[in-house]
Amino acid sequence: MPRIRTRKSWEPRAAKSWKPRAAATALALCGLLTGCLGPDGSGSVGGDVVLRYTWWGNPDRAARTQAAVDLFEKRHPGIDVQTSFAGYEAYKQKLATQAAGGDAPDVMQLDYRMIDQYASGGVLLDLAGQQPVLDTAEFEPGLLATGKVDGKQYAVPQGRGTETMVYDTEKWQAAGLEPPRVGWTWSDWADAMRKVAAETGVPGGTDPGQSEDAFEIWLRGQGRALYTDERELGFTADDLTRWWTFTDELRREGAVSPAEQTTQLDGTVENTPLGRGKAASDVNWDAPASGYLALVPTGISLAPMPAGEDGTPGQYFKPSMFMGVAADSEHPEESARLVDFMLNDDEAAKILGATRGIPVNESIREDIAAGLKDFDKTIYDYQATVEGKLDPPPQAPPSGDSALQTTFQRDYDQVSYERMSPREAAENYLTEAKAELRS
Amino acid sequence: MTTTHVPATARGKAVARPDRPPRRRRREGAAWVFLSPWVLGACVLTLLPMAVSLYLSFTDYDLFNAPRWVGLRNYTQMFTEDPRYWRSVLTTLLYVVIAVPLQLALALLVALALKNMKRGRGFYRSAFYAPSLLGASMSIALVWRAIFNDGGTVDNLLGTGGWVNRPGWALLAVALLTVWQFGAPMVIFLAGLQQIPGELYEAAEVDGASAWRRFLSITVPMLSPVIFFNLVLQTIQAFQVFTPAFAISAGKGGPADSTLFYTLYLYDRGFVASHMGYASAMAWVLLLAIGAVTAILFRTSRSWVFYASEEDR
Repeated sequence: MPRIRTRKSWEPRAAKSWKPRAAATALALCGLLTGCLGPDGSGSVGGDVVLRYTWWGNPDRAARTQAAVDLFEKRHPGIDVQTSFAGYEAYKQKLATQAAGGDAPDVMQLDYRMIDQYASGGVLLDLAGQQPVLDTAEFEPGLLATGKVDGKQYAVPQGRGTETMVYDTEKWQAAGLEPPRVGWTWSDWADAMRKVAAETGVPGGTDPGQSEDAFEIWLRGQGRALYTDERELGFTADDLTRWWTFTDELRREGAVSPAEQTTQLDGTVENTPLGRGKAASDVNWDAPASGYLALVPTGISLAPMPAGEDGTPGQYFKPSMFMGVAADSEHPEESARLVDFMLNDDEAAKILGATRGIPVNESIREDIAAGLKDFDKTIYDYQATVEGKLDPPPQAPPSGDSALQTTFQRDYDQVSYERMSPREAAENYLTEAKAELRS
Repeated sequence: MTTTHVPATARGKAVARPDRPPRRRRREGAAWVFLSPWVLGACVLTLLPMAVSLYLSFTDYDLFNAPRWVGLRNYTQMFTEDPRYWRSVLTTLLYVVIAVPLQLALALLVALALKNMKRGRGFYRSAFYAPSLLGASMSIALVWRAIFNDGGTVDNLLGTGGWVNRPGWALLAVALLTVWQFGAPMVIFLAGLQQIPGELYEAAEVDGASAWRRFLSITVPMLSPVIFFNLVLQTIQAFQVFTPAFAISAGKGGPADSTLFYTLYLYDRGFVASHMGYASAMAWVLLLAIGAVTAILFRTSRSWVFYASEEDR
């Protein structure tokens, strides 16, 4: 949950003391009032530019991000970058609060779902003005455009990601199953879940009923969408009832995780049934899947998401996340420099690998492809298996969707704890969703 | 400041006059100087935000765009169109009714046990008070979650599965966390118990009253103002419970909305769904509700709270 770590909090450098005891009070006062006495008695830390950079992710991403930031600081001695991160849910709430209070971090990691709201709310800086230091020439124009609102470049995509079914390779084999191939269907998936449960004694995977993302893929596999082009709901209560009936039956059979575990999901891999050793698979985005490596000692593999019964793919490539700069940042140029470094620097790219998805900078993608190691290579290869076989991504979801993700989970809780039928919960959800999108 | 340079004649006058108005004024001035940090704080950090929140409660405000006036819509929506709102009200009431009496009973029981203890009283008093110091913190709530989670301590010992993952039990787990923090009311009870004159007990004993009789006829009435004080304080606190439920349910009020306390839903509306106007309206309703409950408690207290001073009248 709210795992928020601040690497180093900036503190006034303590002066070398005169006579220790006499100096104690004076020093405290000095620190309070001036906050700037350096070792030589005159130097000031105030000359340094301090940037705040926040993002969401797991410890693996944290280690690599920190290494890249250290390199950035080494290259720019005058800039001090404070990083902090949290799990997605906690991050989302904290950032919204900061932004509303006019205290948005200088550089922030953003999700597809946040761009519209943050840009239209005036929180983000138009990056076009930072062209000299932030180079976007090497970006796929299509992906770059996903960071635009009303023609202005408010954010730059950091990587390309797609959903995947992550599975415990050993358990999968123990159940006598073949690695899933592109084009396998939701019925194939359900059969596999049952088989794993029967053969290994643990559920086949996380109950995907709580996940709006999984529902979207299922829906797209039937040629529908979460939202229409007019930004209204693209499905009916019947559709949602069918989805929840499907997952609820699997849950009752023990083929997917029980309600007690599903309810603990909070966007971190540590709290998923797969991460806790209580299921054999999980549906997630490919970049954070690296976090399972530390949790599943027997090894994991990535499989494409199931398709519709007629083979229609529901899965799609989406910009995995973005970087944006606060509109009221005191150091827009240095901030843009940091963004540029994270996206365009060769050495940074080597450190970061695919931890935020496969890079969108084309020459960097080619450069690092050969050198990708371990799980980064797994992600790269996985994306290659679905390349060219997916339908184009939907347009960015309307801003109310951010709250609806949570509502979706809550309403499904009522189904998995058997307090409502799938039909009742689906109708509840539709009522709430319509109210949310209207306002 | 100015008073230090008062002319000699005036100073002499002031000393000479028995009612001394200038010095009183000086004292008032000093009082204001010492009060000013608090007054400033109250205005800037309490009154102003309250006024803003009252205004916001009549608007639609998503944190990012300017607030839009919607009149009473937030209030009508809350009462007529939002089943989750009513669920949060019921959950909170249920919690108050379970947690507060349990906590006070335990506090009184331990206070009684400690009252006559000769040795080690200081140690036990500190030991029982410690949870109250730690209580409001996120870390304790997270530890609680680990203990009551499936695969946690309680699960291993009792084999009942995780409490925080079961809708019927999660509320009880949160209530237990509150009950466990009975240190503050306990200390107040202890102080109250020591005020009761020992002769009353001696006299009762001479008359052959049993321990239970003495408790009911002496301890409870003599302690009733303290019981009342604790009841009001803990009730007000219980209505605002937030941290434990937030930590235990990862901010969602789960499982299946079973720990969706009023404040948690308020937070959810404000900071997750970005409906600050609605959240503000909820906050004002909570304020009025707590005010009403406190007023009711005061009203009923006339019939059961006994103040020693009444005796003299």
